[in-house]
Amino acid sequence: MKTTAPPATAVASFADVSKAYGRVRAVDGLTLDLHPGETVALLGPNGAGKSSTLDLLLGLRTPDSGRISVFGKSPQAAIAAGHVGAMLQSGGLMEGVRVREIVGLACDLHPKPYPVDEVMDRAGIAQIADRMVDKLSGGQEQRVRFALATAGAADLIVLDEPTTGMDVTARQAFWSTMREQAGQGRAVLFATHYLEEADAIADRVLVLHKGRLLADGTAAEIKAKAGARRIAFDLECEIDEAALRGLPFLASLSLSGTTVRIQSHDADATVHALYGLGCYPRNLEVSGLGLEQAFVAITEAEEARTS
Amino acid sequence: MNTLIKLEITRTLRNKKFMFFSVVYPAGLFLVIAGPQGDSVVSGTGGLTMGAFYMVAMASFGALTAVLMGNSERIAKEREKGWVRQLRLTALPGRGYVLAKIASAAVVSLPSIIVVFLVAVAIKHVHLAAWQWLALTGVIWAGSLCFAALGVAIGYLANGDAVRPITMIIYFGLSILGGLWLPTTSYPQWLQDITTWLPTHAYAGLGQAIELGGAPHGRDVAIIVGYFLVFAAGAAWLYRKDTRKA
Ligand SMILES: Nc1ncnc2c1ncn2[C@@H]1O[C@H](COP(=O)(O)OP(=O)(O)OP(=O)(O)O)[C@@H](O)[C@H]1O
Ligand SMILES: [Mg+2]
Repeated sequence: MKTTAPPATAVASFADVSKAYGRVRAVDGLTLDLHPGETVALLGPNGAGKSSTLDLLLGLRTPDSGRISVFGKSPQAAIAAGHVGAMLQSGGLMEGVRVREIVGLACDLHPKPYPVDEVMDRAGIAQIADRMVDKLSGGQEQRVRFALATAGAADLIVLDEPTTGMDVTARQAFWSTMREQAGQGRAVLFATHYLEEADAIADRVLVLHKGRLLADGTAAEIKAKAGARRIAFDLECEIDEAALRGLPFLASLSLSGTTVRIQSHDADATVHALYGLGCYPRNLEVSGLGLEQAFVAITEAEEARTS
Repeated sequence: MNTLIKLEITRTLRNKKFMFFSVVYPAGLFLVIAGPQGDSVVSGTGGLTMGAFYMVAMASFGALTAVLMGNSERIAKEREKGWVRQLRLTALPGRGYVLAKIASAAVVSLPSIIVVFLVAVAIKHVHLAAWQWLALTGVIWAGSLCFAALGVAIGYLANGDAVRPITMIIYFGLSILGGLWLPTTSYPQWLQDITTWLPTHAYAGLGQAIELGGAPHGRDVAIIVGYFLVFAAGAAWLYRKDTRKA
């Protein structure tokens, strides 16, 4: 369910890539193309393989099998050419130096650097330019990492849980910068646990689970895939649970007291059939699944299937 | 790359505690070891006095300590914290990283060498010609770079808790076998045959030749340059290859 027609050149592509640590299959047969200008969110529960996938893309690890290419090159070559800017989940910083110095270093090492002051302004660290890096707060460190990732004109920006620890202002500034970057034709790939971020920012969402790609599409498509709508109502008459479970297009059903909660692939048809059961539902609500519920539904269904 | 070298040097100089101990420790050790010894000649060295022998030995040993310990532990720590992973996402080539680390080590080893010399002159009354002082400083300093490269390589081979014991074993092994603590002439012949191939033996040999009024032996220079190239290339390779989680 690709929404963008693949242009001639992919920014990055994974071809049947696998990576295991001992018996843990962190990435399992991943095939994926990223396209220019796309903002892609990578979702998945803890240990799903998000960081491993990004590490592979960045050449920090080598795959056991499969091929990864970034701008038609190996990840290492793409990085050496300055095509990729990245923020790691576990990216330490150089100790014993000032903020301005470390940002200056990143700019100096980049083949197509931006001016240091511009980079610091954008990351919101101009005021702390003279502080020692070891004395920063968690959120300030995160902003410095952001500055390092945007020290030069990269064509692909890779971010592993970038806004963890940032305050609201920093987070908003961060995403507005990222939107700007994407607007200039850059591809942005980010892993996150904040589903609102994915919903609001990404034009494509990937759901990873135990190293496998479960879903790939727009946020709306993911929601649809998960069993698009929720139906909730109260029952005021005796009714057979089996009859309820017999309703068409059911994805799931739960009963608590007299309250019935249903997820349905076709809410209209389900509600129609519900009236047909001869029992009048009270307080009927039909609503769409948020990305968060969709995510939970997709990963839980997979969990149930594989265990 | 030059920015990285500058930054590595700057932050080493900012690390006052490390600088202080690295500079003071070899001189202190020189006094402890050579202090109580008379001015007798060390056998098998071609006529060097105890003071002169230990001056070169401890200057070399001190420089080695500063660069080897400093590099290996700091690099292992940087890898653990993930700074090296971050650095690998830049266009920095492996040799740039190794060069910067060697340069920052050189900043520490130079003053440590000079302080040993000053103490030797003031307290043990070692007399040498002006050119000898300059040449000694130059070769011992340059030779220390070999061990700085070794330090980078160890920092890459060993992780977290293992790095200190591994560095210690290599460090004491090389120092003692190479004759930085005792003249190797006191060792059995078979051991002496082996020790002449050690970088530390060549390192001590550089300074001793100058003290005796000659140029360093070509063999010693070749050995230490050879080791330097192997260590530096190995370190650069390890930097690029390091795929372990930080
Ligand atoms: N160096 C390693 N050695 C052994 N196992 C590892 C290593 N790194 C990761 N793993 C395992 O691989 C799996 C995927 O880990 P990964 O870090 O990619 O997950 P993630 O999706 O980023 O999780 P999180 O949301 O917690 O950041 C996990 O089961 C993890 O325990
Ligand atoms: Mg992760």
